[in-house]
Amino acid sequence: MTSTQAFDLKINGEVRQVRADGATTLLEVLRQQLGLNGAKCGCNQGICGACNVLLDGKAVRSCLVIAAMAIDREIETIEGLEQDGELSPMQQAFLDTGAVQCGFCMPGMVLSATALARENPKAGVEEIRDAISGNLCRCSGYVKVVDAVRRVTGA
Amino acid sequence: MKIEGVFTVAVPRANVWRYITDPEVMGLCIPGCDSIEVTGPNTYLASVRIKLGPIKTKFNLEVEVIEEVEPDFVISRTRGEEGSRASMVSADNVLRLSDADSGGTEIYYSSEVAIVGRLGKYGHGVMKKIAKKLCDKFAEDFRKRVENGETV
Amino acid sequence: MGVSLHKPETIEEAVRLKSEDSEALFLAGGQTLIAMMNAELVEPPALISLDRISDLKGIDRQPDGAIRIGAMTSHADIASSDQLIDAHAVIGEAARVIAHPAIRTLGTIGGAVSHGDPNADYPAALVAADARFEVVGPGGRREIAAADFFLDYMTTELQENELLKAVILPPAPDRSAGHYEKFSRVDGDFATASVAVTLLLDGASKIDWIRIAVGASGPTPVRVPAAEQSLQGSDMGAAAVAEAAEQIAAACDPLDDVRGSSDYRRLLIPRLVAKAVTITKSLAEA
Repeated sequence: MTSTQAFDLKINGEVRQVRADGATTLLEVLRQQLGLNGAKCGCNQGICGACNVLLDGKAVRSCLVIAAMAIDREIETIEGLEQDGELSPMQQAFLDTGAVQCGFCMPGMVLSATALARENPKAGVEEIRDAISGNLCRCSGYVKVVDAVRRVTGA
Repeated sequence: MKIEGVFTVAVPRANVWRYITDPEVMGLCIPGCDSIEVTGPNTYLASVRIKLGPIKTKFNLEVEVIEEVEPDFVISRTRGEEGSRASMVSADNVLRLSDADSGGTEIYYSSEVAIVGRLGKYGHGVMKKIAKKLCDKFAEDFRKRVENGETV
Repeated sequence: MGVSLHKPETIEEAVRLKSEDSEALFLAGGQTLIAMMNAELVEPPALISLDRISDLKGIDRQPDGAIRIGAMTSHADIASSDQLIDAHAVIGEAARVIAHPAIRTLGTIGGAVSHGDPNADYPAALVAADARFEVVGPGGRREIAAADFFLDYMTTELQENELLKAVILPPAPDRSAGHYEKFSRVDGDFATASVAVTLLLDGASKIDWIRIAVGASGPTPVRVPAAEQSLQGSDMGAAAVAEAAEQIAAACDPLDDVRGSSDYRRLLIPRLVAKAVTITKSLAEA
């Protein structure tokens, strides 16, 4: 592949076409070309987790994925969790426990939690803390975030 | 960030002064210095290349001598930028010569460096170590040149 | 205009592409390289992704008990591998504390090692494990000992156009143990200081051999063979350990930065060394 080209990405079960070169990140493509602004650019260095998306079911930093390297992979963003107008159980739990304040970190946070719950449906508190350890939240103090995930995993 | 150090050369102060105020000698001893030219009675323009691991930098530096008292000290100011990369550096420098007990000269240098731009985000701890290493290299090259009486 | 992206399927192809354009950079997991590109610290004209080269992935036990870790194996896979036991556990423990889960999913041992940051977790662990690196380039294949590989901050023995193919851990005897002790401000941060230890106890529970490498305490991992030898044959009493720890700390040259002043780190290092060796000994006794 040389320089800027058009290619397909599979996002939230849909095939979407994008144009990017070898340095364009998945975060840039999601926000600038696809209107999927749930993933946020917090630090652009991979530290804060606000840009987290799921790649083949695992949480990754979309700011550290070259878009063209995500071809043939399953990408899920926060926008894809909703099904037929209904929030996912994890999204609902975050609302019900009052975990969401400014909301900036939440797409990444909810996705990390979602990936955990899928892989480990009965995840305990320590495993929850581990799974969200890479999502920085400046508002909440994390307690209600953990509570939200506990509601889903039954911990 | 402050970078400072001291080193000794086995040459009398008056001679060291001549070398340390000669831009051509300095240009040859500064690691990564591609060129140095005199642009005015107290100003120089230098082009310096520094590698920080995989990061390549090329700085255009303007040096202005603010005050100098022969053969005691030089106070200078450096301003530089990386061209289009929008990384800028400024430094306030002090260079002080004194007689060493051995009969040679003790050279003390100190630089208060500020960097903004892309390199301003890089770990200052590591940059400081790399800068110190470059200063040590400068000291070594300068000492050799001065002790061997090499003129340009 | 724009940066090219290549996806070779063999090592030979990757090496050839690099030889044709030495300004191009190899892309492993991208967790450091892409962050540097985002910060405009490096601006390569092209990237050569190693992701499609299946030869570079996997953890395999060799017939003689050595462990071969492909350069493109992720930190997550290394952290969860059940192959890294006895002294080899030091590598799995180091992998487990690198950054955060999302980084560990994509980050690779080859990328981390090639970057050569002494503040990262693998270098000290690999030095303590006596690892060797298999490297390939236009000149062919060579092996480099971890002790000879890390030269300075972000500077390694890798020559231009060479790439790391695999990390090889020598066989670990039964009853050997390995441990990685990391001290950081918060989970996921780079270490303020870290200590990697591997050791073997003899039949009388005394030290047969011990290797101690300190990370994040100088331009390269720090090992002091004389300090290790002073512990050989000992039962690791507090005094002997403290003296060895001070000897090792004296050889360190820690940074002065937000993760700790150099004064603080000099106080921390000998205590961390003592803690790490004590823990490793009890792992061996278990």
